[in-house]
Amino acid sequence: MAKATEQIQYETDDPNRIQDVGWTFKEVWRRTRGFVVTSVNLIIFFILWEIVTTYGNINSLFLPKASAMFQELWVGMTTRAPEGAVFSGSILDHFLHSFTNLMTGLAIAMAIGIPGGLLMGGNKYVESILSPYVWALASLPRIALVPLFILFLGFTTTMQVTIIVISAVFPIVINAWAGVKTTEKSLLAAAKVFGANRVQLYYKVVLPYTLPFIISGIQQGIGRGLIGVVIAELFGGSNGLGYLIQRSADTFNTAMTFAVLLLLIVMSLSLINFTRWLEAKVAPWRNVNHL
Amino acid sequence: MPISNENIIVADDLTISYDLHRERKKLIALQDINLEIKKGEFVVLVGPSGCGKTSFINAVSGLIPKSGGSVKVRGEEVTAPGPDRAMVFQDYALLPWRTVESNIRLPYELQNLGISEEEKKQRVKNCLELVDLAGFEKSFPYELSGGMKQRVGIARALATNPDILLADEPFAAIDAMTREAMQAEMERIVMETGQTCVFITHSIDEAILLGDRVVVISYRPGKIKEIVNIDFPRPRMNNSEVKISKTYAELRDHIWNLVKDEAMQTTRGE
Ligand SMILES: Nc1ncnc2c1ncn2[C@@H]1O[C@H](COP(=O)(O)OP(=O)(O)OP(=O)(O)O)[C@@H](O)[C@H]1O
Ligand SMILES: [Mg+2]
Repeated sequence: MAKATEQIQYETDDPNRIQDVGWTFKEVWRRTRGFVVTSVNLIIFFILWEIVTTYGNINSLFLPKASAMFQELWVGMTTRAPEGAVFSGSILDHFLHSFTNLMTGLAIAMAIGIPGGLLMGGNKYVESILSPYVWALASLPRIALVPLFILFLGFTTTMQVTIIVISAVFPIVINAWAGVKTTEKSLLAAAKVFGANRVQLYYKVVLPYTLPFIISGIQQGIGRGLIGVVIAELFGGSNGLGYLIQRSADTFNTAMTFAVLLLLIVMSLSLINFTRWLEAKVAPWRNVNHL
Repeated sequence: MPISNENIIVADDLTISYDLHRERKKLIALQDINLEIKKGEFVVLVGPSGCGKTSFINAVSGLIPKSGGSVKVRGEEVTAPGPDRAMVFQDYALLPWRTVESNIRLPYELQNLGISEEEKKQRVKNCLELVDLAGFEKSFPYELSGGMKQRVGIARALATNPDILLADEPFAAIDAMTREAMQAEMERIVMETGQTCVFITHSIDEAILLGDRVVVISYRPGKIKEIVNIDFPRPRMNNSEVKISKTYAELRDHIWNLVKDEAMQTTRGE
C-alpha cells in the first residue's frame, strides 16, 4: 500500500479517449433522416391530393386541387396591393399585418409575463395576491373576451393585439412562475454556501434554471397567440390572415382559403420549431438522449 | 499543522427537527448534540442512513435553522452560510448549465477573495488536477459519470481554500482505487493548510484512516453515541503499518459494533 498513489495515475488526456466520428453514410443519414422522411411524406401527400382532386369526382368548391392552392399561395405571396387600394387581395399584405401583430403581441406578453411570473415565484405576497386572478383568467376561454374587447376598442389593430397579448401571456406567466418554484433546492443551497446573496441567487441560479421553462411558456404562448390572431381578425377588421380566410370563403375562392391555412400551419410550425431549437440550445442538459 | 487548542466549531445541545406537514408532526432528526471541534481537527461522523449526519453539517453551514441549542463557529452563532465554510454536497449540487471549470469558479464569482484573475485560473487548474479531471474543463455535468461529478464538487469546495471543510460523503460514488488516492490528497491538504474538516462517511475504514476523532451517531433521534479518538500518527494514508496494526483492527471492530447496533434498529424500523 506504500506507493499506492503513484500507481493510480489515470491518463485523462489519452489522445484515443475522444475519437472523431467522421462523415460515414450512417452518420449523414442519422442527421438528415427526419428531414428526408418528412419531405417524402409531404410530397406523396400532395401528389395523392392532386390525383384525387383531378380524377375523383370532387367539387373544387370543397376541396381545390393542391396545385391550385400552391398557385394561389405563390401569386399571393409575390404580389402586393396597388397603392391606395382599400382591400388587398395579396396574401403577403395580410400575412405581414398578422405577423407584425403577432410579434407585437408576443413581445408585450413576454414583457409582462416574464417579470410577472418571476415575481410571483419569488415573492409569496405577490404570489398569493395575484394567483387567483392569473388562474381565473387563464382558465377562461379567451374567445369569450373578444366581444368585450371589440366593445372597448372597436375594430382596431389595438384590439387585435390586445387579444393576442391576453391569449399568450398566461402560459408565459405560469411557466416562469413554475420554473422559479421548482428550482432545485440543492442548487440554491450550493450557491448560498459559496457566498451568493439574494440578488446573485436570482441571476446565477433561479434565472438560468427558469430559462427553459420560460421558453416553453413562450412556445405555448405562440400557439395561443396565433389562435388569438385569427379569432381577432375573423370577428372584426379588414386586415390579416383571419380576415382573408373569411373573405375568400365568402367569395367561394377555396384555393385561397387553403393557401392561407397552409401558410398559417407553416408559420406556426416554424415559430414553434425555432423555440424548440432555442430551448435545446440554452438548456442542453434537459434533453440528454441516452437513457 | 498540528491541531490547536482553540475550538472553532461548538455545538451546544443542538437539536434539529423537521416539520412533517402532512402528519402535523415534528421529526426530531438530531437531539442534544454537544460537540467541540478544534481548529485543524479532522472529525468524521458515522451512523446509519437517516440518523442526521447531513442535518448536522447543514446546521454548521447555516443552511437549515436549528430548533434548539446552538452552533457557534469561532464563538459566533451560525445564522447563515459564510465564506469560511465550504461544503461538498452528498448530491453533488452542480449547476447543470455550467461547465466543470465554470462550476469550480462559482465561489470566485460569488465571493470577493481579492485574488487576481491569474491566480484564480491557476487555482482552478490545480483543483482540477487534484481531483484528476484535467481535460474535462469544458464538459458539462450531464456528460460526466457520478464519481466525476462528485470530484467536481470536491474541487469546487477546495477552490477557495476554506477554513472549514464540510464534506458530506465526498467519496461515496468513487471507485476504491481513486478513492484511496483522494483520501491521501485530502489528508495532505488538511495537514498542509490546517483546515478543519467535518467529514461524513459510511466507510469505517475511511473514518479511521482520516479522522482524529470518529463521532458515532445513533438512530432516531440522532444522538452522539460515542466519540472514538484515533491516535495514529500522520500521514497515515501511505503508511502500511496503520492498516495491519492491532489497534486498527480493534478500533474497526469497536466502531463496527457501535454502528451495527444502530443499523439493526434502522432495519427493524424502531
Ligand atoms: N427536508 C426534510 N424534511 C423532512 N425530514 C427531513 C428533511 N431532511 C431530512 N429529514 C429527516 O431527517 C433525518 C436525518 O436526515 P439526514 O439527511 O440528516 O440523514 P443522514 O444521516 O445524512 O443520512 P444519509 O446517510 O442517508 O445521508 C431523516 O430521517 C430524514 O427523514
Ligand atoms: Mg446524508
